[in-house]
Amino acid sequence: MSDRTLAPEFVRDGGNFVRPIRALRLLNLVLPPAILANFIALPWYGDFVVQRLLVEVFTLFAIALAWNLLAGYGGMVAIGLHFFVGIGSYSLFAVSNVLHLNPWVALPIATACTAVVALISAWPMFRLSGAYFAVGTWVLAELARIAMLNIGWLGAGAGMPLDMISTFDRWSRNAYVYWSALAVGAGSLALAVVLLRSRLGLALVSVRDSEAAALASGVPVGRAKFALWVIAASITGTAGAVSYISTLQVTPDASFSLNWTAAAIFIVVLGGIGTVEGPIIGTFVYFVLREAFAGFGSWYFIGLGSLAIVTMIVAPGGAWSLISRIKKIDLFGIRRRMPAVAVQPDAPKAS
Amino acid sequence: MTTLIETLLNGLLLGALYALFGLGLSISLGVMRMINIAHGDLIVVGAYITSVVVQATGVHALASLVLVVPVMFAIGWTLQRVLLNHVVGRSLFAPILVTFGLSIVVQNLLQEIFTADTRSLRDEYISQIGFDIGGVSVGLLPLLSAAVSVALFALTHVLIANTHYGRQARAVADDPSTARLVGVDDKNFFAIVTGFVLSAIAFAAVLYAIRTPFSPSAGPERLLYSFEAVVLGGLGNLWGTFFGGLIIGVAQLLGARVSSGLGPFFGHLVFLMMLLARPHGLFVRTVR
Repeated sequence: MSDRTLAPEFVRDGGNFVRPIRALRLLNLVLPPAILANFIALPWYGDFVVQRLLVEVFTLFAIALAWNLLAGYGGMVAIGLHFFVGIGSYSLFAVSNVLHLNPWVALPIATACTAVVALISAWPMFRLSGAYFAVGTWVLAELARIAMLNIGWLGAGAGMPLDMISTFDRWSRNAYVYWSALAVGAGSLALAVVLLRSRLGLALVSVRDSEAAALASGVPVGRAKFALWVIAASITGTAGAVSYISTLQVTPDASFSLNWTAAAIFIVVLGGIGTVEGPIIGTFVYFVLREAFAGFGSWYFIGLGSLAIVTMIVAPGGAWSLISRIKKIDLFGIRRRMPAVAVQPDAPKAS
Repeated sequence: MTTLIETLLNGLLLGALYALFGLGLSISLGVMRMINIAHGDLIVVGAYITSVVVQATGVHALASLVLVVPVMFAIGWTLQRVLLNHVVGRSLFAPILVTFGLSIVVQNLLQEIFTADTRSLRDEYISQIGFDIGGVSVGLLPLLSAAVSVALFALTHVLIANTHYGRQARAVADDPSTARLVGVDDKNFFAIVTGFVLSAIAFAAVLYAIRTPFSPSAGPERLLYSFEAVVLGGLGNLWGTFFGGLIIGVAQLLGARVSSGLGPFFGHLVFLMMLLARPHGLFVRTVR
């Protein structure tokens, strides 16, 4: 399957992509833990403002990554991904408030709730495909938003606060939110890498490249897409829930807002659709742009929208495609190469 | 009982307007296989252009159509030539994402130019005229909207069935590359199609602007109603879109009777339920 199972000479032979594992083994072993340790230690030396910003960065990164898994690998463009931001955050607030649970205990329950909702919602959504699926998910999100606006015990239009958060002092509240956001960001990245290296990942890449060919070669396309839908929904729901622990209040209009999906789309389009590296670069670019230009209000969004349009037309692969055009890098060891040498001698034997 | 009949009737009339929203979407999906996420925002653009024309010239909103339709045609033609032709048929996500970006740009431009306040072209005179048909009261404006909608669907039907453009449209819809081989200049043809789509939007926009106050952020809702009409009707089925619109209109008004805030909710709910019952649309017999 993957080239990890092949003899080493094939890896070297196919060598179009440089893998850090080979090239910079030491750096690869040292750098990620160092970065992670640095991030983990931040609450002890960084201030609240930086923590708040990073909470946004990590949660939005996770949502963008989930959107990219769906669109870039599963061929499922979901304009209504914010449905799961709302479901995740509302589940967390409802569970924590009703059962008087510590929000961090309620967090895994919220993830599970989102997964269950994803299972159910797949039933109508998977009747649609392509562009119809894209807008269909948006209908789902609108449906949920209007429902929340009208459900009294969930606070209707005003939403609800997170009651149990008052049992924490300010420092621990901020630090716990920050660490959970870090866990969601790093965890979803790790999950995506593991996923894409697995058999399911191979199936998804084949679906991405040609759904018809994948079907014809016996790939269980439907099952792979369904699994991806539930995984991406769970990531999104968890990230949404953490994000709203930080905000302390859920409302239908904010939690089920298209802005979540819009940000995810901008990140993925700018960074590079269908890659894992893309959302990392995209998140960086997105937040740099936001911090620099958000003061311009509508003009900021006009600029961002135009940038996304131009990117889609001029460089549909986003920033990462521009980088990998110069130097082929595969940061996470996800790419698979044809074992060209191995196939040739075998070919005549076939049939 | 009469109130129920009244709700049904008004639902049908509202649905005819939704069908008119969906007409353009149905055409661009049928011919170019492309969904325009900015479709609803372009309806709102039409409403704002109408309000500008009405303010500048003092003519009635309906009379302004003489100007608004050609302007919208020009916008559609240009949009297709400059932007959308780059992405038609390229990949699944290119058209969706480019028009999504366009939707964000359009909404924010409208907000920058016209502020976020709602506007209305409500016409007290037309809005107050109503008829009493056996105890059921029906407004002139909804009747007029429905009549315009039926007329435009009929016109589109005739155009597709009988004209050179219609033949090109059917050819491109069946097989774009073969159509190109036999001499259809698809880039130019797509521009004309989008021009036509935006002209239809102009009618929808004016009727909508007289009926309901609008704001720069009103677009996505219009897109969703249009979309639901198209999907319920089935891909490439023009009159299917019309009946799909009727269903959404009736569902919304019946839902609003249950609770005033739940109209659109029931529209969406009925859409999802119909999707489960008839995944290929109401009027498609064969499974694609």
